[in-house]
Amino acid sequence: MLINDIRLQFYDKIIHKRVLLLVSHDVDALCACKILQALFHCDHIQYTIVAVAGKQDLERAFLEHSEQLEFVVMINCGGNIDLIELLQPEENVVFYICDSHRPIHLNNVFNDSQVKMLVNSGDEFNLPAYEDVIRNEESDEDDSGNESDEPSGKRRRFDEATLERKMEKRRKRREWEQNKERIMYDYDEFSFYGTAASLVMYDLAWKLSKDTNDLLWWAITGLTSQLIAKRIDREKYVSDVTELNRHVSRHNHRGNEDECPLSVNSMKISFVPELQLTLYKHWSLFESLRHSAYTACTLKLWTLKGQKKLNEFLADMGLPLAQSKQKFSAMDVEFKDNVKDWLETSAKKFGLDNISVPSFQVQFGFKHKYCALDVAFAVDALLESVNTSKSAEERFMEALDCLSRTYIDKLEDGLDLCKQQMMGVVNQVQSLLDMKKVVSAGPFLYAFVPDGTPGSKFFSRPNCLMTLGRFTLEAYVKLYNRRKARNLPLVVTAPLDFENGTSLVVGIPPLPELEQASRNFFGKAFEQAAEKTGSRTLHDNFEPSVVIMRTEDRSKFFDALISLLQ
Amino acid sequence: MRRRRTNVTVELRKNKRDDIVLKRRNVPLLSGTDSEEESQLQNTSYAQIVQNASSDQPNLQLGAVQTARKLLSSDRNPPIDSLIESGILPVLVACLQRHDNPSLQFEAAWALTNIASGTSEQTQSVVKAGAVPHFKNLLSSPHQNVCEQAVWALGNIIGDGPACRDYCIKEGVVHPLLSFINPNIPLSFLRNVTWVLVNMCRNKDPPPPLVVIQDILRGLCTLIMHKDTSILVDTVWALSYLTDGGNSQIQMVIDSEVVPNLVNLLSHPEVKVQTAALRAVGNIVTGTDEQTQVVLDCDVLSRFPALLAHKKEKINKEAVWFLSNITAGNQKQVQLVIDAGLIPDIVRLLDRGDFQTQKEAAWAVSNLTISGKKEQVVVLIENKVIPPLCNLLTVKDPQIVQVCLDGIGNILRMAGENYHVIADMIESAGGVDKIESLQQSENDEIYKLAFEIIEQYFSDDVGGLDPQPTDEDKGYHFDGNASVPPEGFQFN
Repeated sequence: MLINDIRLQFYDKIIHKRVLLLVSHDVDALCACKILQALFHCDHIQYTIVAVAGKQDLERAFLEHSEQLEFVVMINCGGNIDLIELLQPEENVVFYICDSHRPIHLNNVFNDSQVKMLVNSGDEFNLPAYEDVIRNEESDEDDSGNESDEPSGKRRRFDEATLERKMEKRRKRREWEQNKERIMYDYDEFSFYGTAASLVMYDLAWKLSKDTNDLLWWAITGLTSQLIAKRIDREKYVSDVTELNRHVSRHNHRGNEDECPLSVNSMKISFVPELQLTLYKHWSLFESLRHSAYTACTLKLWTLKGQKKLNEFLADMGLPLAQSKQKFSAMDVEFKDNVKDWLETSAKKFGLDNISVPSFQVQFGFKHKYCALDVAFAVDALLESVNTSKSAEERFMEALDCLSRTYIDKLEDGLDLCKQQMMGVVNQVQSLLDMKKVVSAGPFLYAFVPDGTPGSKFFSRPNCLMTLGRFTLEAYVKLYNRRKARNLPLVVTAPLDFENGTSLVVGIPPLPELEQASRNFFGKAFEQAAEKTGSRTLHDNFEPSVVIMRTEDRSKFFDALISLLQ
Repeated sequence: MRRRRTNVTVELRKNKRDDIVLKRRNVPLLSGTDSEEESQLQNTSYAQIVQNASSDQPNLQLGAVQTARKLLSSDRNPPIDSLIESGILPVLVACLQRHDNPSLQFEAAWALTNIASGTSEQTQSVVKAGAVPHFKNLLSSPHQNVCEQAVWALGNIIGDGPACRDYCIKEGVVHPLLSFINPNIPLSFLRNVTWVLVNMCRNKDPPPPLVVIQDILRGLCTLIMHKDTSILVDTVWALSYLTDGGNSQIQMVIDSEVVPNLVNLLSHPEVKVQTAALRAVGNIVTGTDEQTQVVLDCDVLSRFPALLAHKKEKINKEAVWFLSNITAGNQKQVQLVIDAGLIPDIVRLLDRGDFQTQKEAAWAVSNLTISGKKEQVVVLIENKVIPPLCNLLTVKDPQIVQVCLDGIGNILRMAGENYHVIADMIESAGGVDKIESLQQSENDEIYKLAFEIIEQYFSDDVGGLDPQPTDEDKGYHFDGNASVPPEGFQFN
């Protein structure tokens, strides 16, 4: 069921209890987890935290811990799968799910006793009516006998009227089934995302009067990660930012700066319009422009002409090339202070109207200043690190740690990792375009990341492969500017495990859809294509448009996908 | 080892799920008890009906019997017990004897049919009221609707169990029933007759008398030629019940020369017919090697690629069950399965079928390792049977674990001195850990099997010592290197 009073129906129920906390591998989940951990520490709630990367992890974690626990909290996982069916829990187990994946599985919505969905009351769910999708047992019993194979032992003879009534009932039932099928198709057709889990958790903290600047910053980071992964559209983002800004002004209200000077330990969050340039404050402006999808794709940096255009752009700003290639922090103060304004002005002339977004930045004491976009990038990079010596759990814990003020140096590691990732992505996009490896299959484009290329290891991680996919699609569409291609989606595969012969497959919706609604139809399509061809696929990721596949089954899988999407 | 079907297929997990489904709905169960007053009111009216039904005014009587019949033919909760308590049975049975009034006979027969359609107790009460001899008489009524209704009523009574069935047989219903099987009879009538024959064959504790089976088989052989699906389904189910009654009954069915027809129906477009036919031939191959051979001689295996790829999981399961009984046969029969190219399908279902099908496939494989010769077992290995066999070692069902362990043990044993090739495959399929942990099993058999396998083939201290079977030509002869050559295994 959907919960409307998160404090009464969730927090008050688990207080003083032991809780199993299952957290998925994404930045928003980590931020939500941090907020919840802070609340648990306040109230001395004991918890066990387990990172889950997919459905199999979820099942395993639950099996291992279910014996001692009655309360399971899930963050960004579990909402879009039939939990009761998957986990077969005892009756006393209650699941509290804070998951931004949509659509929510209807069995979770309609289970009143064991599944409680923590959601933002402002979200729209477009839920079908209960009686349209779930039938009462009682009205079933008449016809259920027809299903068994063996002939019945005894038969009653009904009179005409009853027979007709039965026929009528059967007809109605068929109609109902068809109607249900249609409703379910509409409901399940696209996967998309709702309000960030971290915002839901922050809302809880606020209602408990336990919100602080730290918690607020995590909420901001979670929301920002949704924007950079294109999980929500700009409109939703701006409205959530506005909401958070109210909390920011409340917590960061200061009278006169001189009267209460900043102390080393203080934390200050401020609202700022921010450039959508990847890590530019921690890189050089030149590199950042090259490695940000928006600028790289719009300026078509893949071509010589595009590279010239970048120089023109910098000249237009009045920024010397040498300065632009300096580390940002080492740029002349005059440039550093003005670069944002100049860039915004020049951007409009070069068709980069949306270069800035409303965002936040945080300052810890005097020294460290970060903008939310960069932090979200860094945490994600730590989570998706391809350092083979680190297990998934270690990566998860490291990413979780770097959100704390005490582990600022880890955040710096994340920024470095992120740069490497983005360089890998951009090189890969360049080589896919140069080699003409982005191919149209008719109803969609596809690209295979070949095995053994320098960057290919980065793309064994789902988020990074999705970043590559979005980057490639945008680059391709803007480069060729073909009317037809503009509305095509893209499927990208990358080698996952060479020895086992598996690949990772992600589906990227067409650009207009990506920018407006961020909804993705590939989940259903992948499922059907795999089923039709008997391809060996694993639909383990909580994001249905990410699947693992036997590489040798790829061609038949793609054939089925083509005929499905035509 | 040939296995009959077991009916205990309900799994714990499934049971539990049903509970949860109920709970998920979370709908309060409405109880539908009528108020005291209302039932009082109805009791008086039942008494009234019974009284009127024994009236000597023809119209009043017919009307009352009709009312009773209508009450019993309505959709839900027919008032069977209330009417029996009001004493309606003797009145209805009396009506059956009114040869001057076929409408009354028809209504009474219908009402009795529906009373007999209830619980066993309710059916018995109709028998005790002495209805059976009169129904038998009605079988020769010149009015077809009366006749048909009597057939229906007898069907319900015969379906109650062996005692009622044998009583009806003694009253001599079989011959008149079989005489209805002729080209002039309407379809709905013939469907009813066929259904009664199913009920005749249904119960096997004890089975019907041999002569009766012979008679019925003759009828079934005619009916199996019919085009109507529902007649076909019932006919084939009747045959499958007969073949479920031991080898002598199987022999009678074989002698009736119906097997080629059954095999043909395995490719029928209607799933219900396929299901029944598969069950019938599946029962036959639980018999002796000779009886099994009769089915195989009809080229039955050529039907199986379609059945193994059928989209209904239940058909897959029964098809593999059938094959498991062939691989339990002699080596010639095992070879037929191999020659029909069915091994890849069996391994595929062992790997990825639904659990019930996987179980049957495990039996099929394990049986083959027992009855097959080593060339035949090699075919299994070439089709990569080891990884799925190892995967099944972690299931909850101890019988299946044992079957799989048996299979693995047999394969290793047959490999003789080349056992390490198989051992490597088990190792790389992650099977060794699983077998090792099965040594902790509470089940004695499993523990012993696992222990033996580990001790003989996987314990380090074996070192240079060869395991016992050193008889030279017992082992497989693989090409020297341990890896699998791309073109498959080669025998020297």
